[in-house]
Amino acid sequence: MIATPDLVESLVANAAPVGRLRPPVARAVGWLLFAALMLALLAVSHEVRPDLALRLRQPEFVIGIAASLATGVLAAIASFLLSIPDRSRLWLFLPLPALFVWVATIGYGCLINWVSLQPGSLPFGDEAGCLALLVLTGVPLSLAMLIMLRHAALLAPTRVAISGGLAVAAVTATALSIFHNHDASAIILIWNLGTAALLVALGGAFGRRMFSWVAPH
Amino acid sequence: MSSGQSSRGPGLSLVKEGSAVRSAHELDWSIYMARAQDGDREAYRRLLEEITPYLRSLATRRVPNRRDVEDAVQDALVTIHAVRHTYDPARPFGPWLVAIANRRIVDGLRRRGRTGARETPLDAEHETFAAPDANYHEAASEARALREAVERLPPGQREAVRLLKLKEMSLKEAAAVSGMTVAALKVATHRALKRLRKMLGRQDRRA
Repeated sequence: MIATPDLVESLVANAAPVGRLRPPVARAVGWLLFAALMLALLAVSHEVRPDLALRLRQPEFVIGIAASLATGVLAAIASFLLSIPDRSRLWLFLPLPALFVWVATIGYGCLINWVSLQPGSLPFGDEAGCLALLVLTGVPLSLAMLIMLRHAALLAPTRVAISGGLAVAAVTATALSIFHNHDASAIILIWNLGTAALLVALGGAFGRRMFSWVAPH
Repeated sequence: MSSGQSSRGPGLSLVKEGSAVRSAHELDWSIYMARAQDGDREAYRRLLEEITPYLRSLATRRVPNRRDVEDAVQDALVTIHAVRHTYDPARPFGPWLVAIANRRIVDGLRRRGRTGARETPLDAEHETFAAPDANYHEAASEARALREAVERLPPGQREAVRLLKLKEMSLKEAAAVSGMTVAALKVATHRALKRLRKMLGRQDRRA
């Protein structure tokens, strides 16, 4: 172990000017703009689902999509706030109300679709497209967030990763509802929630390692 | 770190987690950090030197082991350096500093807790081996008693013990060095050992 005064000297010697971070909300907006760009690109290449106009007239679909979008926005803001040392850790709960509504609409969707779900009619073929869409949106968004929040590796990696995972999952789920041209069956809804749970769990379990992977050394 | 600087510590402990009692220092630190972010090394040095005793007092409260306190302080300093761009000069410096320090102190405690669960530190007061002969401490104290006993021997006997037993010379070498005859050395050694045995109060094993 080196002596503390020596450590101070070496830190001073390495004190190059640094750019201050912009306010966390502004940075969250930056990430959300990136997410919007991704969705726009997908819309150009993928085409929205044919029955979107019809579905947009159904209140439970609109509430669901609005709730997942709100969850994504709030969770993104929470992640950027949590990554700053002196902000309260209670920001972790910011997306909870929206998340609650989102889960509730999924539950409601499951309930009313349960009867129409016949054994053997599960659309397995769709799942490949579904997965591709999830990966296509989820991976760039996760990477962008990981890089933007890399300094959080030293502070609160788990908390930030959970919140960031939720943001990515919610935005991805929104994309899925807009683009995936399958009826909003229980399967699709479970896909949404399953991915969200998976991403949040991954963030919680491996957040520290993921962040130290991109952290400045 | 001079003692003059560390004596500022107690006054600064007013800066509690979350609720920042603004001290004059905190404002100074905020300004120093703002300058350091722009690359002012002198301000940065003053900041780090002033917060070090404060960090130490924070760490002392939560880290039980004296040696680990300095580790925690250095860990906090390195982290502050790595994330110094996250400080917003418009906000108070105290909570930012305390949040980072506490975070790193807790991380350190966890890390040491994990290591401690697997490893047993070998401190000076621990025996290095299970065999009693290897028990260092006892041997050391016995050695001292023996040395003192040797000092109390008459000069001739002391010389014989020193050359033959402590310096491990042969009889011939010892005779050459001391000018005593081999027979005289043998007799002196025999008497010295007998006397030492009596002085150390045992009749036994160490023949």
